[in-house]
Amino acid sequence: MSAVDQVRVPQEPKFAGTIVKSVFFTPAGAIAVTVILLFAVIAIFAPWIAPHDPRAQSFLSVNAQPSSTYWLGTDQFGRDVLSRLIYGSRNSLIIGFLSPVFAALIGGTLGVLAGYFGGIIDRVVTRIIDMLMAFPELLLAILIAAALGGGFWNVVIVLTVAFTPGFARVARATTLSVKEEPYVEAAIAAGVRTPMIIVRHIVPNISAPIVVLLTLWTASAIRLEATLSFLGIGTQPPAASWGNIIREGLSNMFATSWPILTAGLAITIVVMAISIIGDTMRDALDPEIN
Amino acid sequence: MTNLLEINDLCVEFGPAGHAIKVLHNVNLSIAHGEAVGLVGESGSGKSITSLSVLRLLSEPPGRITSGKIVFEGRNLLDLPRSDMPAIRGREIAMIFQEPMSSLNPVMTIGAQLSEAIMLHSEQNESQRKKRILELLKLVGIPEPEARLKQYPHEFSGGMRQRVMIAMSLACDPKLLIADEPTTALDVTIQAQVLDLLRQLRERVGMAVLLISHDLGVVADVCDRVVVMYAGHVVEDADIASLFDNPKHPYTRGLLSAVPSLSDTRERLYQIPGSVPAPGSVKRGCPFYDRCDLRKDICNNEMPPLHAHSSTHKAACWVTSSDAEAVSQSGVTT
Repeated sequence: MSAVDQVRVPQEPKFAGTIVKSVFFTPAGAIAVTVILLFAVIAIFAPWIAPHDPRAQSFLSVNAQPSSTYWLGTDQFGRDVLSRLIYGSRNSLIIGFLSPVFAALIGGTLGVLAGYFGGIIDRVVTRIIDMLMAFPELLLAILIAAALGGGFWNVVIVLTVAFTPGFARVARATTLSVKEEPYVEAAIAAGVRTPMIIVRHIVPNISAPIVVLLTLWTASAIRLEATLSFLGIGTQPPAASWGNIIREGLSNMFATSWPILTAGLAITIVVMAISIIGDTMRDALDPEIN
Repeated sequence: MTNLLEINDLCVEFGPAGHAIKVLHNVNLSIAHGEAVGLVGESGSGKSITSLSVLRLLSEPPGRITSGKIVFEGRNLLDLPRSDMPAIRGREIAMIFQEPMSSLNPVMTIGAQLSEAIMLHSEQNESQRKKRILELLKLVGIPEPEARLKQYPHEFSGGMRQRVMIAMSLACDPKLLIADEPTTALDVTIQAQVLDLLRQLRERVGMAVLLISHDLGVVADVCDRVVVMYAGHVVEDADIASLFDNPKHPYTRGLLSAVPSLSDTRERLYQIPGSVPAPGSVKRGCPFYDRCDLRKDICNNEMPPLHAHSSTHKAACWVTSSDAEAVSQSGVTT
């Protein structure tokens, strides 16, 4: 006879939309989102906000302390630190955003295909993931950057390669569990063809962990971009990024410490805010905490 | 009249070649147009494997259909290329599963899922589809279908979800509906409602139903004919009245005497001694031999073929076969 105890407690669906919404309902999450939006606005409207040309050198005012003309002083070439920070936010944020998104697209696709089809595809993809995962992200990034050289798109490529295996692994694991769900079997039995099964029934159901990972790695990407630029293999001068502002500021630290302090602070604030958003989303995803 | 579905000598095995374990032994089953057939048996007797084989949903590997034919409307489904199957699934043969709670995609609205089911097999515009969806929801008895369309599965109860599943399976007017234990996960009152619904729909839409269950009561409620399976063999195939009044296989007799009734005065319910043999452990003879109270020497050595007791009643047993003549040699030990 029918067993009442077999009835499963209905669970609220956890998909990307719900997870993203939940961030706005926690105070820390709301503040973090505001901070990020603020930085995004600064980056987008940099030409209108920046008081000076970030590349304009002025030998009359080298290593100036903050004043009404140069709010955060100038560096060893007499360039306005505030303007460089504002323009630098463009490189830092765009690279920080683009590379995890590319990695999520490439890694996610590979992971879903490997998880869904299994067999030889799965074996090839997991071996590549394992190989790339054997290197720490920073080391891998330095290796590739050393081979390719610096520059905006090279940094994006470097970070994308460094992050892809992580996304592929998560996508593969969640696909493996989702494809065994009865609704996937039901869809197959209803005559849905494989591409539509993947697009409509698998992908939406694995999106939540991917989105969380995306956020957590945006923070890492900003940090790594700064690290690579600091090491001289990231964004190349005279283009500004927070990392190379610190690099150039370091040799000039005793003349003026404003470039290092402010760029370091900007990185800290943005990385913290994104990490808080990521943590909030991860909490929303975890049924143990709710 | 030819049958809608005819399964002939279907054999399925699992595991690596050479060490494969046979889970279906020469299964024969037929369903006429508009007929409701019940498929009963214990867990592991091969009911679900049989139904999954029909839609070629068996996971291969490790499963493998080694021989037999599955003829649906004159076409052997096993001969069709795999890529032709989606056109048959849902359109010609629909299936509903035993877990209504998780058989709907949690991130799609009910309306979107029903719309997908319709879109798969027919070309209709937005408003025709909407009309059809509302019609289907009304047909399966979901109140306020307009409002329900925009809701997600978690806002539905188990019974309501099974109704939605049934509505989805009806979307393309299939000729055969395979219901794999559709009421197992529901409580008794909801079970009765869903069975009523299945029976009404069958009368109204005129489709054939293959109802898989381990509950003889459920089968008696809906079906015209019952096929009993045991350890991968069809052991009895009879119309519903003969099966309940005059079961010919000792296993069916055991099952029937294990059913409690309201007038029961027994201290303990009847139980068939022993347990189902592990798949692959019976090398020859009748798989029920160890548990049978009528057994003879021949049963241990040779698998009985299906003997016909009447035109609608067949059973695979040596002991009760004296008053019948063998119609099929296909059940002989392989």
